Amino acid sequence: MTRRLSSSSVWLFVAVLGMALPSLPDAQTPGPTPRTAAGQPDLSGVWVNRGGGGGGGREYRPDEKGNVYANSSFRPCHPGSECRPAANSERDAGIRQRMAGTTYNVPLYKPEYWARVQDLDVNGNKYDLSARCYPSGVPRIGAPSKIVQSATEVVFLYEGDNRFRVIPTDGRPHDPDRAQGVSWDGEPSGRWEGDTLVIESVGFTDESWLGWPGYFHTNNMRVVERVRREGDVLIWQATVHDPEILMEPWEMPAVRRRLNPDPRARLLEDPPCDEQDLAHMATRERG
Amino acid sequence: MRRTMFGLLAAVGAMSSGGLLVSATVEAHHAIQAEFDTKKTEEITGVLTRFAMINPHVRWYFEETKPDGTKVEWQFTASGPGAMRDAGLARIFKPGVTYKVAFAPAHSGAKVGRLRTMTFPDGRTVTMYHEDPTKSDVKVE
Repeated sequence: MTRRLSSSSVWLFVAVLGMALPSLPDAQTPGPTPRTAAGQPDLSGVWVNRGGGGGGGREYRPDEKGNVYANSSFRPCHPGSECRPAANSERDAGIRQRMAGTTYNVPLYKPEYWARVQDLDVNGNKYDLSARCYPSGVPRIGAPSKIVQSATEVVFLYEGDNRFRVIPTDGRPHDPDRAQGVSWDGEPSGRWEGDTLVIESVGFTDESWLGWPGYFHTNNMRVVERVRREGDVLIWQATVHDPEILMEPWEMPAVRRRLNPDPRARLLEDPPCDEQDLAHMATRERG
Repeated sequence: MRRTMFGLLAAVGAMSSGGLLVSATVEAHHAIQAEFDTKKTEEITGVLTRFAMINPHVRWYFEETKPDGTKVEWQFTASGPGAMRDAGLARIFKPGVTYKVAFAPAHSGAKVGRLRTMTFPDGRTVTMYHEDPTKSDVKVE
C-alpha cells in the first residue's frame, strides 16, 4: 500500500495522540555497580548501543569472485528474523522519525506554535541545521559514547562529531554570564541525588532542534539530564523545560547503553562533515 | 580483523573496537529519493580524482573523458562513512585509477549520482547501494 500521508496530517495525528507508552523493562539482571572512592556510582566507561539493526555492524566479506556487497537497509531488522515489510522504507522512516521511535513520546507545543513546527518539519531540508553539519546540540545528541569521571567532574564524550562536555559535579550555581549564552551544548551544572547524577543546563542557542520533526526551542530552555548506572547498564534520560512554547515539560524516553567491557575499546573519529547534497535536492522529502 | 581478498583488513564488527554500530551522524541523513531517481541506472567510466571520507555521506570525484575528448566532472555519493569503515573499504579507492560506475542519477540533471556499483580494473565489484525496500521476505544475514 502506497498511501501517502502528508506531513501536516501526520503531525496533527501525532500531536493529538501525545501520550507516552510505558517503556519495556530491561530483562537483564544488573550486576554490581562499581563505585568511586567517594561512594558514588562510577559512570566511567565506553557505552554502546545494544543490538543495532538497520545494517550496522555486519561483516561485508567478498564473495568467491572477490565482489563486495555492502547494501544498507532502511527497515528495522532484527538479526535472525525478517525485516519489517515496507512499501517505501525511506518514507516509512520519515514517519517513524515523527513518532519519536516506538514510544509515541513527542514534545507538546502550545497550539499557537503548531504551524511553525509543521513549517520547520516540512522544510527541514532547508531549516534543520544538523543537516548542514551544525552540532546536534543537547539533548538531541543523546547519551554519551564515553564517560570519564573524576572526583570533581564528569566528561561526556560523543563519537558523533567528536564532541565533549565537561560537567562539574559539585552543584555549583550557573555562571550568570554563561547562562545568557547561545551555546549548542549549554552551560551545565551537575550534582548527585543519591545514586543519580542530575545535570541542569542553560544558556542555549535557539538554533538547535530537540528532534528531527521541526522541534524548535527558545534560548530559555532548561535541560535536566538524569544519569545513573545499574551494573553494566547506563541509563540516560533528559527532560526539556521551555514553558514559553511547551504545554508541559517534555520528558524524553530513557535511553539505555551497555558497557563495552573490552579494555581496548576506543571511540572512532567521526570524519569531517562536508554537506554537498542539499544543493541537488529536488523535493522536500526527508527520510 | 582479517585480510580479505582485496588484501585489506575487514572490520569484524564495530563492537570489538568500541565504536558504535551505526553511523555516528545519523541525524544528517538525507532522503535518497529527494535527490536521486532510484528507478534509473546510468553508467560512466572515468578516472577517480578524489575519494572523500566525509559526513554525512562519502563522496567520489571522477573525470570522464568522452569519445570526442571533452572532459566531464562527476560526483557520486554513497552511505555514511561508518558503513565504509565496517566494510573495510576506507583505502581501496585510488585516485588516478579508472573505474566503471553504475549509479542512480540526480533528479536535477546535475552530474551527480548515488553509487550503485563500482567496477575495478580487474573486474571485481563493490556494491554499496541499499536493499529493495519493497522486499518483505528478506532475512537479515
